[in-house]
Amino acid sequence: MKGPGGTFMTEYLKCGGYDAFRRDRLLRPRGLGRRDLVSGLGAGVAGSFLVPGGMRAADRSASDSFAPVAEENALIAFGHTGPITDGGWTTAHDLGVQAVRKAFPKLRLVYVESVPYSADATRIFRQFVAEGAQMVIATSNYGDFIKDVADRAPGVAFLECDGHTVTDNLGWFYITHWYASYIIGIAAGLMTKTGKLGYVGTFPVPSVYASANATLLGAQSVNPACTMNAIAINSWFDPQAATQAASALVDSGCDFLCGITDEPAYLRVAESRGIKAAMWNLGMRQFGPKAYVSSVVLDFSRFYVEQVKARLNGTWHAAPRFLTLANGVDRDSWGETVPPEIATRADEMRSRILAGYNPFRGPIRDNSGAVRVPAGVVMDDDTIYQWDWGVQGMTGLG
Amino acid sequence: MTRFQRFPTAPARLVLAWRAAALVAAALIIGLLLALSGRNVFELAVLVLKSTIGSRFGLEDLALFMTPLILTGSAVTVTSRIGLWNIGGEGQFYLGAIGAAGVGLYMPGSPIVVLPVMAVTAMLCGVAWIAVPTLARAYAGVNEIITTLLLNFVAGLLTYWLATGPWRDRVTGALASTGRIHVAIPEFWGVVHWGFPIALLVAGGLAAIMTWTSWGYEVRISGANPGAARYAGMPTRARIIAVMLLSGALAALAGMFEVAGTVHRLQGGMADNFGYLGIVVAVLARRSCLAVIPAALLMALILDAAIVLQTRQLAATVVLAITGLVLLLIAIGDELAHYRPVTPAVRLPPSAPVATPKVTT
Repeated sequence: MKGPGGTFMTEYLKCGGYDAFRRDRLLRPRGLGRRDLVSGLGAGVAGSFLVPGGMRAADRSASDSFAPVAEENALIAFGHTGPITDGGWTTAHDLGVQAVRKAFPKLRLVYVESVPYSADATRIFRQFVAEGAQMVIATSNYGDFIKDVADRAPGVAFLECDGHTVTDNLGWFYITHWYASYIIGIAAGLMTKTGKLGYVGTFPVPSVYASANATLLGAQSVNPACTMNAIAINSWFDPQAATQAASALVDSGCDFLCGITDEPAYLRVAESRGIKAAMWNLGMRQFGPKAYVSSVVLDFSRFYVEQVKARLNGTWHAAPRFLTLANGVDRDSWGETVPPEIATRADEMRSRILAGYNPFRGPIRDNSGAVRVPAGVVMDDDTIYQWDWGVQGMTGLG
Repeated sequence: MTRFQRFPTAPARLVLAWRAAALVAAALIIGLLLALSGRNVFELAVLVLKSTIGSRFGLEDLALFMTPLILTGSAVTVTSRIGLWNIGGEGQFYLGAIGAAGVGLYMPGSPIVVLPVMAVTAMLCGVAWIAVPTLARAYAGVNEIITTLLLNFVAGLLTYWLATGPWRDRVTGALASTGRIHVAIPEFWGVVHWGFPIALLVAGGLAAIMTWTSWGYEVRISGANPGAARYAGMPTRARIIAVMLLSGALAALAGMFEVAGTVHRLQGGMADNFGYLGIVVAVLARRSCLAVIPAALLMALILDAAIVLQTRQLAATVVLAITGLVLLLIAIGDELAHYRPVTPAVRLPPSAPVATPKVTT
């Protein structure tokens, strides 16, 4: 049976960005055509299908900003990838939604949970538009399913978490979670005894590569023999599959689990098997206080309030936005069983990153041993955001 | 003395009347529960009607929902005519999508050439996917329900593997899907593409074949009474094979329409359970190929209403429960349609005691 969302294998992509990180070259200069933007984006972001879209966008009168809306007339719609009670990703976004509700008590907010990654997503976004929403925010990647709707509703502002496409009325945002993962990776490298890390992955998509690679690179920076075994469970929210994957990883000798699922299932496995685990989305120590090391914690509240405010003022415009370390994404305070000296060592890297250091520098080899990032080259956020290969020592993510 | 007796057949007008009553009852129960949970039922009802049949936007969505539902519903209906159940519509849908995407991604040329090739390839893939269950059924008597069902999971995972592996989109990189396919079924009314009228024609064509051709007659007899069909010299086995392969092709065509008409990429999970919903449609259609169309419309209405209700913070699970309630009540209505009042032809004199048969042991 189906319910929009309550489906057999449809749960899908997600992930997530910030203004503090506006790089000027990514921002669309006012009055410039879309194709200029596409060329400005460079690299792989400029999909071939962007260009015709850009031409269509150029045909209609390209309005740079959207008319101001009075708070009491505004309708802001959120499409979530999972249930808001998932205790992780969607809960983190829902906390942001609640912050918006608090900041703008008179505006109308609607949301839909468990929007599947399928044509049903298009229907839900179209429904938002039909109900008169001035702004639609998808808390996960919906690709063409949201772009098709945005292209047909030029007056509505669209924002997509983990998106890769920018048009006149569709922007994306994402958190640079790889820095937090790297910091936690250092702790992992120092705490593992077997040198084998386990990763409960979802889909082989760039956000998952970035998260797993960053953790492993962090671990290898202090413990070069570290390897990582990843399992993709083809879902963002499937506690049963995550539990099975985590058990299999522990059975194969991993003594430190990390991952990117939306819920805390593998932390419970780690707690019951007496090993350590690092989480993602929210602080989750209550599900396994002994096993809990830290978590890549996300906070979208400030970003959402700013974006909604900009839309109400009529100053919003579509742009790519990264939320940076300590501005929407960070490591959680360390778990009770993390030795203080290890926590200090990992936090030293955090201070360096906050001071502008980028740990993703060559040489970095892929899992076949070939050098993919030559010595002296630094992977910037745009490059990491497109990561589609596993680093040396990674198995299970090709 | 009038009493109700169950008849093996149910006349269409009684079925329709009971189903209408079932829908009204379902609406009342849902309305009552929503009112008890403190919602404004009237406002919700108006919104649902406006967003489904009361606006062009809603009608477009209905047509898009109906397109795959008609085809997967037809796929199950044709097999049910010969007494079999193809539960593998979901898998054949995926194979159709894979076949169509493979052609669409790698065959250059104008849409007028590529689209038909996509359709044919998709149907051949669907046929290939159901071939093993078909032959196992026809020659070894293996229950097709199990084999077709289990292949769904294989097909779903195969799609994930292709979409995140060899055919992965390396241009935008982010989606667990293939690149965008360069050809699309043209749209003729808003977002409604030509797959919709084609699906209607397919359903009409199947109904005509089943009703008016000797092939259709043989299929129906083979389903109604296999022994009699064999005795009459009908090639039952050949008909079973043909019907099952046709069924696979129909579900696969739904996959091709979804790839080329609405999604434009191959993605894991893209079947959206249309294959399974096809079974529901077929049950609602009561084995009539033509009735698949209104049955698909009803299912599309429920799914579309579900999306509207979700934007009003009804969880997707509540919507599933509503779907289940509607289907349960319709099933009860269908059963009730078999009952008709009968009056005994010979009246007993009012004073005579009612004769009870004596049971001797």
